[in-house]
Amino acid sequence: MKLITATSLAIVMAIAGVAAQAPTPELGVLAPSNLSKPRPAPPFTVTGTWFIDLQFPGSWQFGPPYPKLTADAQKHFDAAQKARAEGKVYRDDIGQCWPAGVPMIMTRVWSIAMVQLPTVVYMVSGFMNSLRIINMDGRPHTDPDLLVRTANGDSIGRWENDALVIDTVGFKGDHHWIASGIPASDALHIVERVKLVGPNGTKMQIEYTLTDPKSWEGEWKVTKQWNRVDARDMEIAEVECLPDLNSHIPSTQSKENVR
Amino acid sequence: MKGFQRFRRFQGFQAFVGFAVLAIAAPALAHHSAAGIDRSKTVTLAGTVKQFGWQNPHSWMEVDVPGDNGVVTTWKVEMTSPAFLIRAGWKASTVKPGDKVTVKVFPLRDGDPGGLFQSVTFADGSTLTERPAIARQP
Repeated sequence: MKLITATSLAIVMAIAGVAAQAPTPELGVLAPSNLSKPRPAPPFTVTGTWFIDLQFPGSWQFGPPYPKLTADAQKHFDAAQKARAEGKVYRDDIGQCWPAGVPMIMTRVWSIAMVQLPTVVYMVSGFMNSLRIINMDGRPHTDPDLLVRTANGDSIGRWENDALVIDTVGFKGDHHWIASGIPASDALHIVERVKLVGPNGTKMQIEYTLTDPKSWEGEWKVTKQWNRVDARDMEIAEVECLPDLNSHIPSTQSKENVR
Repeated sequence: MKGFQRFRRFQGFQAFVGFAVLAIAAPALAHHSAAGIDRSKTVTLAGTVKQFGWQNPHSWMEVDVPGDNGVVTTWKVEMTSPAFLIRAGWKASTVKPGDKVTVKVFPLRDGDPGGLFQSVTFADGSTLTERPAIARQP
């Protein structure tokens, strides 16, 4: 009897010891105890539906002007220019259902739904329902050894005075373009300074600082603007690039496309 | 209240200007580059609707067009998204297989039977495009 009691006690103590040593699980962004942590009130909310302002200088495109490209990137750029001059399409990966990726997904001419919570900002593009997750709970970027690289990258955000600053790394680095013929690599790093401007915060500006030493030199700065769109028919909808889509969209199948 | 009404009218104006610009910016609406489309030419297709896809991100139409030699060629016509077609007066039931139509397209540069939609004229003479027929109200 004494042996059984001693054995049971040892097992209980061992379990308690393991429990004491196990790290406390980190809270997810939607955990109520994470959402309810005391934090300073944000200066604004981006919650709403936004649409790229096509009348703002530069409209929906990144460049021109372009930064000084690396030799490898310049080859792509020159090939794209040549294709364009010949009326051909160069490496139209989006047309083949590859995700546009950040930053281009932000300026597709489709609405973007944004939902801001104290711990996270979710952005869902009406274009292929591409999801961006901007973690705002103070965590650092994901450990590179654990990171799953994606087209939209690994984003963390923080408030700096009147701006939401989003830092994004961890891009996949293939089939990803900033503009036609300008490739994004896995070294792409993007900082976005988000501000609300205009009457009643009805416009949003994002100042992009793009660096990618494998594709261009230095910082590439671009500012884009969006309009808040409140009408029901501007909401996002379910949109997928399905396997049979392009069989009905002849220009994606053109023999003259440069793959 | 008047200020609010003015704001709503401003929103409506913004939306109208926005859609007018969108009509011009059609390539950016697409999920693909439109460089393979020859916008300097228009091809008129007189035929019968084979299929109509009311689908995101693009709607599409297939039109069977009889040639002079009696051979029927199926033309693939790419269109914008249902959201924009609705603003131009379209519904899912607007076009049905078997409808006799005249469709204008910007053709593919490579000569294949396909192109980018411009307009459709139905047997009753009515015509639809992808542009909003009237300025949207707020």
